[in-house]
Amino acid sequence: MAKRIVNNIRRLRFDHDELTQKMLADAVGVSRQTIVAIEKDKYSPSLEVAFKIADFFNVPIDSVFQYK
Amino acid sequence: MSYKERSIWVSLAITVYIWVNYFSQIYISAADGSLTVEIVKGLLLEVIIMTLTLEIALQIVLAIIDNKDANYADDERDKLITLLGSKYAYYVLSFTAVTAVIHLLFPVLTSSLSSNLNLPNEYAVIHIIIFGALVAEVTKFAVQAFYYRKGF
Repeated sequence: MAKRIVNNIRRLRFDHDELTQKMLADAVGVSRQTIVAIEKDKYSPSLEVAFKIADFFNVPIDSVFQYK
Repeated sequence: MSYKERSIWVSLAITVYIWVNYFSQIYISAADGSLTVEIVKGLLLEVIIMTLTLEIALQIVLAIIDNKDANYADDERDKLITLLGSKYAYYVLSFTAVTAVIHLLFPVLTSSLSSNLNLPNEYAVIHIIIFGALVAEVTKFAVQAFYYRKGF
């Protein structure tokens, strides 16, 4: 089976006092719909946005995104 | 459905409605032999006015309904989807350009088009280009709507 990029953004948001998608979107400079698409694995963000998300949650990038 | 996606569906609907209306009127006029340059000019003017009016009115309504998202600039995903739509539209426009050139170089191949329209040859070329541009526009909106829905 082909590998794909998956993510833990939903869990990370939950662990950060149930942060809303809108707040995360504003923090990393994308639309809420883009966060929705990333969470549903319908869109793989650029490296820049991926690092911004990891930086926002203050975790390593491989804690947010995995290739499996 | 996001503001961008709604906006694309609205533009797609407006484009299809106006141009289907235009080509059906051209077809009806051509079929009964009453098609003239003046009718074509009038229909094209109607298309321009209707496009501007409907786009402005409906995009304003959309922005009022979804005022939170209306002011957001395109992010990387929006830009990527726009580029994908433009890429496929470019293929259609390239094919249209080739078709128009073939029509001009070898008019015998498309003589039935000119005779059915019963208009000067430049109007046949104009309609090849208009039709190609329309298909390109519909392709662009359809591809964008597809990728917003399906993801990639």
